[in-house]
Amino acid sequence: MKNSLLILLTSLISLVSCNKENTTDKGLARLIFNSGNLKFISTSLNPKKETMSALYGNEKAMESLSEEGHTPKAGAIMKLVTWRYHDNPQYIGGTITGELVSIETVQTDGKGKVSYQIQNTTSQKSAFNKEERISYFMSYHPVMRP
Amino acid sequence: MNTTKKRNPIAIVFLAILGIFGGLQIFSQPLEGKPATQKIEAPREVINILENSCFNCHSNQPNLSWYDKIAPLSWVVNKDVKRAREVLNFSEWDKLSPAEHKGKMYAILNMMQSGKMPLHEYTILHPSAKITPKEVETIRKYTLSLSDTGNNSKNKNTDHEINAALPKVPVSPNGIQYTDDFKNWKVISMSTLFDQSIRVIYGNDIAVKAVETENFHPWPDGSIVVKSVWKQQTLPDGEIRAGEFINAQFMVKDSGKYKDTEGWGFAKFSGNDLHPTGKSASFAKESCIACHRQLAEKTGYLFDVPMKVNTQQLIQNLQKNEK
Repeated sequence: MKNSLLILLTSLISLVSCNKENTTDKGLARLIFNSGNLKFISTSLNPKKETMSALYGNEKAMESLSEEGHTPKAGAIMKLVTWRYHDNPQYIGGTITGELVSIETVQTDGKGKVSYQIQNTTSQKSAFNKEERISYFMSYHPVMRP
Repeated sequence: MNTTKKRNPIAIVFLAILGIFGGLQIFSQPLEGKPATQKIEAPREVINILENSCFNCHSNQPNLSWYDKIAPLSWVVNKDVKRAREVLNFSEWDKLSPAEHKGKMYAILNMMQSGKMPLHEYTILHPSAKITPKEVETIRKYTLSLSDTGNNSKNKNTDHEINAALPKVPVSPNGIQYTDDFKNWKVISMSTLFDQSIRVIYGNDIAVKAVETENFHPWPDGSIVVKSVWKQQTLPDGEIRAGEFINAQFMVKDSGKYKDTEGWGFAKFSGNDLHPTGKSASFAKESCIACHRQLAEKTGYLFDVPMKVNTQQLIQNLQKNEK
């Protein structure tokens, strides 16, 4: 009788401790950015800021960046998604993206008017210059591959 | 009278065991000794550690103890040594390019740091082979000091360029076909490696769902993850972009098909002609899986799974914005 009580008690404790682990776990998750209809175009790494970015866009964005233009074509949509990177916890000598930092969007309407928008995920808002950011977007070229 | 009767069966059992044991030795074949070509070139302190803790299995000069040579232990030892030599053989170090030497040293460092090597089963019987934190530090310093050898693709790819007659759609020796489909998939993470490369990892819908639900043990069949790798190109302001294309690496989950490699099929297509890596269907068994198995078990044998660092709140907000 005593034994079965003991077993019951230990299993109860282990269950409770399992629950605790799960609740602390619940706050965090593995995020994959949903780019919708936009496709991956290019990537960058900023060692000073310890960030990595992925640039996504539609067909018009792809065309705009393939040519040496300074403004995106009418109808172009681009999103620059920036992540903080860390040493890869599973491999010394590698880094991997971690926290999402910001999502910037550059969009050109039918009349060729270019808009810029930034969505920060951290509380600190960094100052930005719209024109500078647009020309930064335009500095990207689609990645080379066969 | 009674005591002799009792002793007899014990003696018989003892003799029988001895007989079986002796018989087993007939089936115990010694490891074939191959000549060592050229030894690894490294500082003496590094070589000392490698010789003491690794060479017994990872070289052509095994210095095994007498009990390692007695069956049935010798069967286990021989199997381990054979497998160890396939993955890494210090006696054939000169067959590798400088870039590969660097890659191997990082693999060694990671294996030691995580306590996966030398194997626990081995150090129980050979306690002197155990690695101390100080020794790991020596290996770490040496590995990090290895100068950037660059991606001398000419050196690296000589093996593969012999296969001149490439099919139109590149196919890995294990049957995995190259496909452009991944360019339409979601990017699951981005990474870099010591070899000055920048990497973008894509996942198909099954793989994306597996990451989001942490369904790693095992990953569902049909998951495909593709890593696209470029050389780093540094801009004048220090920012790095993707330069020349190096390769596209595929991992395809099919538990029935890839039994030897934890259910994952590996393929690597390099250069602009996308030439596949590997000479035989089992190439991944001798290379890729060794590190993936030992170091990335937590995430179902994948290294570049997104880190669990973003808040649920953020994810929910993003999903709201999508709608």
